Amino acid sequence: MTPEREPAERDTPAELETPADGSAAGPSDTSPATGRRRLGLDMPFRVLLTLGLIVAAVLPLAVFGIVVIAAGWESDERAVTSLLALAVAGAAFFGLLAAYVVASALTAPLRRITSAVERVAAGEPSPPIHLAGDDELARLAESHNRIAADVQRRNAELAGLLVAIAAYAPSQGVDPLVAESERDARQIFGLIDCRVTLGRADSVAVEERIPGDPCPVRAEIRAGAETLGVLTGHVPATRNWEHADQDLLELFVSEVGVALRNAELFGQIESQNAQLRELDEAKDEFLRGVSHNLQTPLTSIRAYVEQLRSTTTDPETDRRLAIVAEQSGRLTRLVRQLLTVTRLEAGVLHAEPEVIAMAPRVRRAWEALNATGATLDLTDDARGWLAVADPDQLDQVLWALLDNAVKYGGREGKVEVAVRAGDTVDRISVTIVDHGPGVSEADRERLFARFTRGADQPSGEGTGLGLYLSRRLLRAMGGELLLEEAGAGRGAAFTLSLPGEPPADEG
Amino acid sequence: MIEHRPRRILLVDDDANLLVVLSEQLRDDGYDVATARDGQEALRRLDGGWPDLILLDLMMPRIDGLALAREIKAYADLPIIVLSAIDTADSKAHLLDEVAEDYVSKPYHYPELRARIERVLRRLGDRIPRQSLVLGPNLTLDLHRRSATVAGTEVQLTPTESRLLHTLAANLGEIVTTETLLARSWADTEEADASYVWVSMRRLRQKVEIDPGKPVHLLTVRGVGYRLVAGRDDA
Repeated sequence: MTPEREPAERDTPAELETPADGSAAGPSDTSPATGRRRLGLDMPFRVLLTLGLIVAAVLPLAVFGIVVIAAGWESDERAVTSLLALAVAGAAFFGLLAAYVVASALTAPLRRITSAVERVAAGEPSPPIHLAGDDELARLAESHNRIAADVQRRNAELAGLLVAIAAYAPSQGVDPLVAESERDARQIFGLIDCRVTLGRADSVAVEERIPGDPCPVRAEIRAGAETLGVLTGHVPATRNWEHADQDLLELFVSEVGVALRNAELFGQIESQNAQLRELDEAKDEFLRGVSHNLQTPLTSIRAYVEQLRSTTTDPETDRRLAIVAEQSGRLTRLVRQLLTVTRLEAGVLHAEPEVIAMAPRVRRAWEALNATGATLDLTDDARGWLAVADPDQLDQVLWALLDNAVKYGGREGKVEVAVRAGDTVDRISVTIVDHGPGVSEADRERLFARFTRGADQPSGEGTGLGLYLSRRLLRAMGGELLLEEAGAGRGAAFTLSLPGEPPADEG
Repeated sequence: MIEHRPRRILLVDDDANLLVVLSEQLRDDGYDVATARDGQEALRRLDGGWPDLILLDLMMPRIDGLALAREIKAYADLPIIVLSAIDTADSKAHLLDEVAEDYVSKPYHYPELRARIERVLRRLGDRIPRQSLVLGPNLTLDLHRRSATVAGTEVQLTPTESRLLHTLAANLGEIVTTETLLARSWADTEEADASYVWVSMRRLRQKVEIDPGKPVHLLTVRGVGYRLVAGRDDA
């Protein structure tokens, strides 16, 4: 039997709870001294020890003496020798027996206490040991009982504490968390009352302890170096509040501090998020309002101009009306571009891909631009092919690229557009080339960023959003926009590509 | 067209300037135009007889525009073209799907608007119930929501795809010519030709057929057009 296993097997809790009951003794406990009541030796430990020594040492000596004296009466030498030998053996046996009985009686309670202390050390629950009397062993048992009870209580407190702090979520908010931590502290530490006061720790006065009254307890709530508040409360007067209890309370309170800080930060983030959402909503509403307020008058202007142009016969009036139409068209495209950028950045833009013949779409976009003085040279090498794109968004891309080509195209004013298909499988590409100065090396890098124009371009022209928007729109539609390498005799060359559908003939 | 009476359009817009010029433009093109400045007036006009089409200005910041469209739709199931300062890319544009046959963003280009009006008017006879159309265990169409459920999975249809299926569904089981599909699904200003129908149908099959190579619902009638059929047990 190993020493660790022995106590568990010998001392079942049932036995220990009824130590005075002799019938409950363990099977291996053959010694007659498990409890002194069982032995009938209801004497203090010291008296018993003395008695044991006397019995073990003096009794055999006395027996030996009696035998020697008795031998003196008889003179038969042989008889004397054998009687002596017998007496010595008997004395030795009796002495050993007595020593064993006494030792057993003495060590039984010690063994119980040892195994109980081992259990406490191992963190197991250890029921109280009841020893009668007021001697050293009884006091030892009493100490064990107190330590075991304390350890058990603190274990329970620690378990309660861990469960409680695990349940604290930042999303609860500060006030509910304060209320919950007060409730938990009362429950875990058996406090009569408990209060968490947020703010400076010295805002709550330190309470004096008055013997006989409930004992005040206190712990500062900290998160890092910052003091968030203080927890105060009382334990019943009947209970001791020791260092270990205070340590546990401090541990609890430090976790409460972390939870409170998290809740505070969470609350801040939540309210900031709410603010941002509100701002975002307001911005969207504003933009819708602006677009409505800009587009409604533009609609009227365009409608009247269209109507007037269809009725006028005077070429000069028609020319002027054409300018109004062109400029209002330009303004319309600008408003749309700004709206699209905003939606794109808000992530609410979505594309409705339809099939579109590219070359006619390019021509229409060109006509919508009304670019006076510039000419379009359109080559269509993708007959029968249809691009797959959102028509409105594709128009915005074409407007931006063609507008750039006209704007930066230089004096010659010819814009070459080539539509091709099948370069790679199922893709349609459109290359737009102007005859301007091209794009300088320095500009190539930053060309597709927001609000950028060529370094040597006048800043008053355009929004600086065209290429940025075009690339983003194309990419969202599964396409791409690239700046081609500069070639001899030509200016800037941009190539857009989009998913394409090869010709079909089902009719 | 056998019927020669002018098509009636109810124009609802809170911008008086636009109301004047647009109604003049429409009248010049032979439409019979009535106008209303707001929702109440629009509903009163409906009491006096239904137009063929309602052209409704919808300002999205005031959701009552949408509410009005819903109210009109509930009162008289008439085709509505929404004229709006928002465009299809707006996050709230999808709300229009349930009430509007089409929408044109402001500022509109009049020839384009007229082409859209014509396209909607061409489809006047193609009314199908505004509810699910079950074509088989693997295909259900919800065209008023621009969606189809294919083998339990919902797929979103583009406006054009929805119009194509709408025309085919209105003539369920019958052949619809490529020319008819073209006229009902694309506006004249879009300069679409037969290849648009072919390619769109091919794309549509990829969406709604389990095996696009062996279609069971969207059938080609070579040299003529297409048929939409309720599948037999195609599970």
